[in-house]
Amino acid sequence: MVATTAGTARARRRRLNPDAEGTITVGRSRTSTVLANLTGIVFSIVMIFPVYWVLNTAFKPATEVLRFTPSFLPQHPTLDNFVSAFKAQYFLQDMVNGLVITGFSVLGALAIGFLAALAIARFQFYGRRAIILIVLAVQLVPFIALLIPLFLMLQSVSLTDSLIGVSITYIAVLLPYTVWTLRGFISGIPRELDEAAMIDGCSRAQVFWRIILPLTGPGLVATSVYGFIQAWNEFIIVNTLNSPAKQNLMAWLLQNQTTRGTAWGPLMAGAIITSIPVVIFFLIIQRNIATGLTAGAVKG
Amino acid sequence: MPPARRAGGIAGDGISFRERKSKMYAVDSPTTPQHGSTGGPDAQGTPGRSGRNRRGESARTPWLLSLPTLLLLAGLLAYPLFRMIVLSFQNMRLRELITGAAPPWVGLDQYRSVLTSSAFWSVVWHSVLFTVVSVAVSVVLGMAVALLMRRVSRGVRLAMVVAMMFVWALPQLVQAQIFRWMTDSDFGVVNYLIDKIPGVSFANHSWFVSPTQGWLVITTLVVWAGIPFLAITLNAGLTQVPKELLEAATVDGASAWQALRGITLPILRPLLIIVTTLSVIWNFGLFTQPWVLRDGKPEPEFQTLATYAYTQAFGQSRYSLGSAIAVITVLLMLGVMAFYIRQMFKIGEVD
Repeated sequence: MVATTAGTARARRRRLNPDAEGTITVGRSRTSTVLANLTGIVFSIVMIFPVYWVLNTAFKPATEVLRFTPSFLPQHPTLDNFVSAFKAQYFLQDMVNGLVITGFSVLGALAIGFLAALAIARFQFYGRRAIILIVLAVQLVPFIALLIPLFLMLQSVSLTDSLIGVSITYIAVLLPYTVWTLRGFISGIPRELDEAAMIDGCSRAQVFWRIILPLTGPGLVATSVYGFIQAWNEFIIVNTLNSPAKQNLMAWLLQNQTTRGTAWGPLMAGAIITSIPVVIFFLIIQRNIATGLTAGAVKG
Repeated sequence: MPPARRAGGIAGDGISFRERKSKMYAVDSPTTPQHGSTGGPDAQGTPGRSGRNRRGESARTPWLLSLPTLLLLAGLLAYPLFRMIVLSFQNMRLRELITGAAPPWVGLDQYRSVLTSSAFWSVVWHSVLFTVVSVAVSVVLGMAVALLMRRVSRGVRLAMVVAMMFVWALPQLVQAQIFRWMTDSDFGVVNYLIDKIPGVSFANHSWFVSPTQGWLVITTLVVWAGIPFLAITLNAGLTQVPKELLEAATVDGASAWQALRGITLPILRPLLIIVTTLSVIWNFGLFTQPWVLRDGKPEPEFQTLATYAYTQAFGQSRYSLGSAIAVITVLLMLGVMAFYIRQMFKIGEVD
C-alpha cells in the first residue's frame, strides 16, 4: 500500500518536472553541501582502497612486495607476477575447466529453466503458486549444508572428481534464479502479442518460437551473464568434489593460498586475472541486479 | 553456495513493465475472461475452435514445461536434503565411505553430541553475535551512504557509485584474499597505516590472535563487501520518496532527522525489510570470509556454523555429525527464510 502511494506520487512528480532527479536544495546551507561532498569523497577512497591495493601489489616485483613500508605506486612496475601465475601448476588447466563447467551449467540451466519460466509466466494452472514457492525457497537453502549428502551421492555414482558432476550440481544451483528471472522477462512481453499471433493462426509452438523467444533475447543474455558470474565465482563445491586438476580458477586461487601462502604478488595477479571476466560482466548487467534483487519492493 | 545467495530472489527488469501491462490489460481489455485477471485465453481453454483439445493440452502443458526443472531440483536439492536428515540419524565415517557399507543407525546420538558440546554453542554464539552486529552496521551504513548520495554533487555521486560497483563486482573469494593480504602480520598495509599513528606500534601485529580483533577484520570485510548492494538498492528506493513531501516538511519546520523518521523511513519500510532479511540470511551462513582469512583451518573461535559443519564432515570425516549440525543450522534459519518468502509473495509476486 505504501509502495503504491509512492508510485503515484512519483508519477505525479514526473509529470510536473520531467527530470526531477536532482538533489533537494531547500534548507541546505553551502557548508553542509561541502561537508557532504567531502564525506562522499572520503567514502569513495576507503571503498576503493582494497581494489587499488591489489592492483598496486600485482605489478610490484617480489622484493618490493615483501616490505613493511610499502610503496604506494610500484617503483619498478613488472608483469612478472602475471607470468608466474600463468606458469603456475594447474592455472591454465583450471581456467579451461572453469570455462567448460561454467558454459555447460549456464546453458543447461537456461534451457531447462526457460521452460519452467514459461509455464509460470504464461499459464494459469493448479500448482503454479507451489512451483513459485519451491523456486523461491530452494534459493535460500544453504548449499554448504547439502554438500555432505551431495558429495556422498556423487561419490557413489563415481561423479566426484569429474567435470560432469560439478556441472550438473551447478545447474541445480543456477536453476532457481534462472527460472525466477526469466519469468520476469517473459511476463514483460505483452500477452496481446501472443493473442494476436494466435488469432492470425499461429500454433502455441509457433508463438513460442516467433514471439516469446526472440523478445526474451535480452533477458536470456542478462540471465546467462549473471549465471556465468555465479558459476565462475563458485569454489566451495568444486573444491570439495574435485582434485586440483579438475577444479576452476577460484578453487585454484584458494589452493594457492595454502601451498604458496607468502607469494602475494602472483596471488594478487591471479586474483586480478580471475576477476576480470566477472567484473566486466557485472558492470554490464549491474542495473538488472540492482533492480532485480528486491523485485517489486520498489515500484517504478 | 554463498555467491549464489548474493543474488537472492532476483527477478528480471521487465517486472514493473509487466505489472503495469497486466493491470492495463485487466482494466481495459474487453476480451479479459471473467475469472483470473491474468489468465488469458490460452489458460482458460477458449471454447469454440478446437476448444476441447486445447483444454486438455492446457492442463498438461505447464506441468510438462516445469517437469525438467522440478526433476532436477528434486534430485539435486530435495533428495540431498532428505539424505542429509537421514544421515544425521546414522553414523557415517570414513570407513563406510570407503567400503560402501551401510552406516549404522544411532538415533539421536549425533544431535546429543552436538547439542551437549560447548564448542557448538560457542560457534552458535559467534554466529548470532556476528550476524546481529554485521547486519546492523551494514544496514545503518548502507542507509547513511544512500542518503549521502542524494546530497552530494553529481561528480562525487559518480565517484561513489563507481567505487561501490568495483567492490560489488569482485568475487567473494578475491575480496577475502585482498583482506588477508592487507592484514598480513609482516607486510600488511593495515599494520603499516596504523603504525603511522604517533605512539602506536603495530609492526608485525597479528590480527587473529585475539578473537575480538579477528572478528573485527571479518566484520569489516563483510560490511565493506555488503555496502554497495545495500546503498545502491536503498538509494534506488529513495528516488521513490516524493520530493514535495520532504520539501513541505522542511517548510513546516521539520528537522532533517524528523523528515527522515516521519517520511523517508516509512516509505522505505518494505525495501528495508527485504534487504535486512537477505543480509541476515547471508551473514548467518558466513563461510568464505573466515575460511579464507584463516587459511582454510579456522580456529574454534573463528568457526561459523557453516565452517563448523564443513570441517566436521570433510576435515574429520564425521559426515553424520556434520549433517546434524547442518540440519540444526537450517532449522535455526527457517523462521527468517519463511519471513523472506512471505515478503516476496506479498510485494514481489503480484500476479
